[in-house]
Amino acid sequence: MSMRNNNRLLVLSVTAALVCAVATAQNARPTAFTNARIHTVSGKTIEKGTLVIRNGKIDAVGKDVVVPAGAKVIDASGKTLMPGLVSAWSRAGLNAPTSLSNTPTRSGRRGRGQRFRPSRSSGRTTNAAATKVIDRVYIRQPIFGKLLEVGVTSLALNPSGGGFPGLGAVLNPAGKTREALTLDDEAFVQIGMQRNSGAKKLLKETFAKAKKVVEEREKPPAPPVKKPEAKKPTAGKPEAKPGAKPTGKPPEGKEPPKPGPKPTPKPTPKPTPKPKPKEGDKKQEPKPSSKPAAAKKPAKKKPKDPNLEVLADLLQGKRRAIVHINSAADLLHWRTAVSDDVKFPRMIAVTRHDSNSGTIDLVIDHLKKWECSVLLPPSLTTMPRTAYLTHPAKKLHDAGIEVGFIIGESPTSVRNIFFSLMELVRSGLPADIAIKAITQVPAKALGIDKRTGTLEVGKDADLLVFDGDPLSPTGKLEQVWLRGSRVEKDSANN
Amino acid sequence: MRKSTLFVLSLALLSAADLPSQGRGRRGRRPTSAPTPPAAAPKQEEKPKDPKQYTAIVGGDVYIGTGQRLTGATVLIADDKIEKVGHNLKLPEGTTVIDAKGKTVSPGFVIVQGSGMGAGFSSPFKDTVNPFAPDIKQGLAAGITSFLAGSTSSRDRLGGSNAVIKLAYGDVEGMVLKENSVVGISVPLTRTARDSLKTSVKAAKDYLAAVAAYPAKKAKDPKAKAPKKPKSADQILSVLQGKANLWVAFGGGGFNPFRRMAGGGGGASDVASIREALEIAKMFGKGVVIQKPTSAWLVPDEIAATGSSVIISPRTRLPADPKNPDRTGTNIASAAILAKAGVPIAVTCPSGRFGGGGVGTNGILGQDLNTPNVDAAYAVRGGLENRKALRTLTLDAANIMGVGDRIGSLEAGKDADILILDGDPLHYSTFVTTAIVNGKVVYEKGKEALYRHISRPKH
Repeated sequence: MSMRNNNRLLVLSVTAALVCAVATAQNARPTAFTNARIHTVSGKTIEKGTLVIRNGKIDAVGKDVVVPAGAKVIDASGKTLMPGLVSAWSRAGLNAPTSLSNTPTRSGRRGRGQRFRPSRSSGRTTNAAATKVIDRVYIRQPIFGKLLEVGVTSLALNPSGGGFPGLGAVLNPAGKTREALTLDDEAFVQIGMQRNSGAKKLLKETFAKAKKVVEEREKPPAPPVKKPEAKKPTAGKPEAKPGAKPTGKPPEGKEPPKPGPKPTPKPTPKPTPKPKPKEGDKKQEPKPSSKPAAAKKPAKKKPKDPNLEVLADLLQGKRRAIVHINSAADLLHWRTAVSDDVKFPRMIAVTRHDSNSGTIDLVIDHLKKWECSVLLPPSLTTMPRTAYLTHPAKKLHDAGIEVGFIIGESPTSVRNIFFSLMELVRSGLPADIAIKAITQVPAKALGIDKRTGTLEVGKDADLLVFDGDPLSPTGKLEQVWLRGSRVEKDSANN
Repeated sequence: MRKSTLFVLSLALLSAADLPSQGRGRRGRRPTSAPTPPAAAPKQEEKPKDPKQYTAIVGGDVYIGTGQRLTGATVLIADDKIEKVGHNLKLPEGTTVIDAKGKTVSPGFVIVQGSGMGAGFSSPFKDTVNPFAPDIKQGLAAGITSFLAGSTSSRDRLGGSNAVIKLAYGDVEGMVLKENSVVGISVPLTRTARDSLKTSVKAAKDYLAAVAAYPAKKAKDPKAKAPKKPKSADQILSVLQGKANLWVAFGGGGFNPFRRMAGGGGGASDVASIREALEIAKMFGKGVVIQKPTSAWLVPDEIAATGSSVIISPRTRLPADPKNPDRTGTNIASAAILAKAGVPIAVTCPSGRFGGGGVGTNGILGQDLNTPNVDAAYAVRGGLENRKALRTLTLDAANIMGVGDRIGSLEAGKDADILILDGDPLHYSTFVTTAIVNGKVVYEKGKEALYRHISRPKH
């Protein structure tokens, strides 16, 4: 009983600390770090540089930057600045916290804290691409705050499973409510490859269907030229919306994706309301205008599959995907199921080096054809049945493929990432590539690279301050800044 | 002593000249000269594609796989097929040449019973194969380029789910040669099972006859109905139509690891059971493949008369059972006795892993597939001709698996699954130096961490 109370207290205190931090962010007084070693990631590392933060954004960064008058100056000599970590592979918050398991902390879902069981629809037999993983998250968990404290300033939430388990989200780890926590509830489409005939069949058939939907969309709506007035708004609206999606990526300001009580994460037509009215309306228009033959058509096509609509968006380049492929063998099987003509923006996620089915560096040629980045575990691996170490990340990088790293979903694994990177760097991976692999590359894959992931003017001031080389065991993470405000460490969390 | 003289003798015989081939039994004689290129047909098919990639293995002593050997010959490969084999071939421009002087060239070994090596665990195998499995390399180092994976026996009725897997490292589509080319049944059958099998086979035969007669019937009477396919007779039909080979295993009932470890043939591998298998062959009107019949050497002529083949483990030795005059045990002479009667043989190794069906490169007590050539050499020691012994690992094994038209010999038009070895294929000191599957080099001894530190001892 007392334990539970303690935990509740802990959550409250974390919340309080973070709320304070966010509040202070709004003051307009700029902050300037001077004499810092700055890993900009976008360009060269700046020695003895200055970085100015104003209104949560990076206002200036460089060697000869003048510190604005009235700025709060932080002397960062001997310190290193780098962008906040971007985790593109995590399921943090999708399980009920065991310590809070009997308290109704989950909003939107009732129940007694049983572990989340992936719905059957996320398995291999169906396409559930429109299911939003954000609907399953347990908010108000200490995990998000803890991750933020160790440097994760942007956090993805990945649906799990083979086939098309749903839409992944990008979280703001400082958020306390569902709205504040959610930066983008449909940031990417998650796709999982599995080596069996069911999964391969699903991939093949679903992409074929999605392709048909695309063809349908791209068909010029020639015949009905009746009511131009009524048509214009319907045609204009959907184009603006999906178009805005990938580019705009509205930051915090974005309207929240439906407040709390949305009971179950079923693939209802709800998740994709945008493309729906577009085509639906278009199709319905010929109905009154012309013959009954034309009226039949829309009747047949009326029940649009939101899951297919999501994938059609993907094929049209309006969305991006994270494709979970763990081994070289799986990748070759993907190619036998899905032809290379099926093109879409993607990142390949490899969650463990599988030397029994071939590590992913054995199929570099195919990866190059896809022009995608690859998310890897931050580790060396061994050649099968030998003790010879191999370095898949270096091989991919040498071949010109962008490499990202999985930084884990627990504070411990995030802390250890720098040790792992050290090992990779001493085995030949350039240090700046290693830093880029936990910042800019995953940010691109999540579609938040316009906002964060590098230390450039105009980007959010998400940054980490180390008192030395981040990769060295002597370099300690001193400060975490999220959107221009320093994240206060909560001693209860350590 | 006897072995070495035999060995030397056969070597001397072989290297004398281009020997007339010793085509055996029902397959008849092979052409005496090097196979001429009837490769026109596949050529035309591939013409619209990219220009062919040619590879030539030059100067090696080429074991064709049919029993013939060409000294200092060339094997020309076009893409994934063998284009030509012979002396002084004219090589097309841009041919990649692999020098095999002083080496031997042989068809890749075809293994009738295997597991692992990248084979998937369930049918359809094409969706589950693992082309990067580490033991693929180990299999290639042992000379294996194809094997049968999956189950080949079923109780009381035809069954099994299997595929001929190629060790095409890194190539998903190239790994599965044929699915379900083998249908299995295990004997002894219960009386009801035997009766129902008999009626099903008869119904299937009647159906096939009716199908054959149907066009003529239809011409006479346009109202004639198409014959109805008997229920659940797909596997029987595929055997009757020659799409699959029928394998007979000896069940004996129950799982008895010790018996299996000792004999590898199940408990009922006696003459009576062999005769029951032959009875099934007669039922179908075509030869069956008998799996590990330990007492087969007692009735070789009966087996040959039905056109059946045998899978045997020459290494297996079983003492006779004094209480059962039918069970006479087996020894290394079995293979030679059967071959002399004209029974095609495929060699396998004793079952490893406590009698489990799986034989792979990870077996225990050396009962595994790391040295299939030595298993064949045991048959040579038992009196089988050296040349025929290689067939047990190549062409005969491929025929037994129902894929003899694709693999098993170095003939024009066949798949380019080729080994380059540093000595006689059946010698125990011989290593595979290069393995080629589907025209691609997939194993080089010097590049893999398996045997590169071992050089062939001089004898």
